[in-house]
Amino acid sequence: MSIAPIACQTWDLSVAYNADPVLRRVNFSVPAGSVMGVVGPNGSGKSTLIKAMLGLVKPLTGTSAFFGCPFDQVRRRIGYMPQGASVDWDFPTTVIDLVTMGTYGELGWIRRPGKAEHARAEAALEQTGILELASRQIGELSGGQRQRAFLARTLVQAPDLYFMDEPFQGIDAKSQEAMLQVLYNLSAQGKTIVMVHHHLATVRNYCSHVTLLNGSVIASGSAEEAFTRENIRIAYEAREGAEAFLETGA
Amino acid sequence: MIDPIEFFGNHTFRMVFLGASVIGLVAGALGSFAYLRKQSLISDVIAHSALPGALLAFLAAVVVFGVNGRNMLGLIFGAVVTGTLAALFANSIAARTKIAIDSAMAISLTAFFGAGMLLLRIISNGPFTGKGGIDDYLFGNASVITIADLATSSAVGAVALILMLVFWKEFALRTFDPGLSTLLGFRSSVIDTLMFVTIVIAIVIGVKAVGVVLMIAFVVTPPAAARQWTSTLPGMVILSGTFGAMGSGVGAYLSVSLGNVPTGPFIVLTLFVIFLISLLASPRRSVIITALRRARARQALRRELLTETTDK
Repeated sequence: MSIAPIACQTWDLSVAYNADPVLRRVNFSVPAGSVMGVVGPNGSGKSTLIKAMLGLVKPLTGTSAFFGCPFDQVRRRIGYMPQGASVDWDFPTTVIDLVTMGTYGELGWIRRPGKAEHARAEAALEQTGILELASRQIGELSGGQRQRAFLARTLVQAPDLYFMDEPFQGIDAKSQEAMLQVLYNLSAQGKTIVMVHHHLATVRNYCSHVTLLNGSVIASGSAEEAFTRENIRIAYEAREGAEAFLETGA
Repeated sequence: MIDPIEFFGNHTFRMVFLGASVIGLVAGALGSFAYLRKQSLISDVIAHSALPGALLAFLAAVVVFGVNGRNMLGLIFGAVVTGTLAALFANSIAARTKIAIDSAMAISLTAFFGAGMLLLRIISNGPFTGKGGIDDYLFGNASVITIADLATSSAVGAVALILMLVFWKEFALRTFDPGLSTLLGFRSSVIDTLMFVTIVIAIVIGVKAVGVVLMIAFVVTPPAAARQWTSTLPGMVILSGTFGAMGSGVGAYLSVSLGNVPTGPFIVLTLFVIFLISLLASPRRSVIITALRRARARQALRRELLTETTDK
């Protein structure tokens, strides 16, 4: 058994849209300092799991804890990078303003971001390698640049625990490289990352831990223990994509 | 046509111009948020459903209190009540049933507006003092705006604008990324209520001068036009408020100088012209330039694809 402290955990978490269950009594825990990949077929409830843990979707049963506390008490220590498609990219705002939004939580009601907040936003853009795009309208960014802007917004919060929903979705090689570098650095600093990831071939490269999900948890633990051919087969119910992947030798 | 010197020398005409401009400014600025939240149609539900409220306020003032039935404060109060009820009704139907939001809004709007039309008939047929021209609530009549009306609508409008400025950061975040807003600890119900209050105010202060039927244009058209020219939120709100004020001023001027015609339609047409110009002439988002650029890019792609196949 692992003795690492736990960054976050759920107990019997279930979610249903109307009366259709999406998640059934999900139990899993994420060791502090790990990169936990949440992996599973389309519609297996990966995004819903993260949203339910963070309270964006109301669970039907169960609870979640972060560093041993309910979300409300530790929200400053938690960052969330949603899917790229979750916002309207035609919204009239610039990249720097988008990233500055990450500072709004600690500013609280009414107080406006000032020089310090903008400097931090610029530093985050520097980290993700798109500082030169700071004054662009967000709609002008490519898919990869959008994800990097979202990542920068999450970095600005300086959380200890990162939730990322498909951060590598639809991005170019250069952006992927830049984002991976940031993730490695975070990991080296001891931050914890929970990442929805659907590209089976890179799971082992990116993730130290894996939770295989298909409505309920199929397996969860270190990548070695959990991300096995047998478990993948069960999670994907031997679907075509997974078969092809398995044949290349996982 | 009346020439400008004569127009602005006349007290009534000045009131018309100022009253319409204030409404245009407030509705244009606050309409930006409704536009970006894609709540244009719910604004129309509020506007049409303000009619029974405004008329009930008239009845209450005349029958119960024995005061002027057209006083602005009573009108605003009544309009806010029924406008809000109609919007809540539409939203709760959509949330609790399988009826889609557009159908729910149409049902709510027509029911409240129908009740308003019925009240209108009851008032016109009844023995009520000051009932003359009560049907101006439909299409507006800016020439009946008094100094007291102007003061009231300016004050109420200023409250809404100040709310927007104070909670600017919260409004912007909630509009762009509602999920992040909640996660960062801002209570969504508080922000949504504040935003709803501002938009309802922006709508109901126009009932007297513009009328409930066309008020939606004040909320939707200026932001849509402004979005063509700017890519920042402050830029959009300022420009939209300016378009609203300008269009309303010009429209009011035209409606007065062309004789006894309703104010609302003229302003709406002026706003529409501003919108058309913005659609065609904006440097970045012009429909013409966009279409040309797309056609050129497609041609280039086509050539590229054709050479590719011949190479192989």
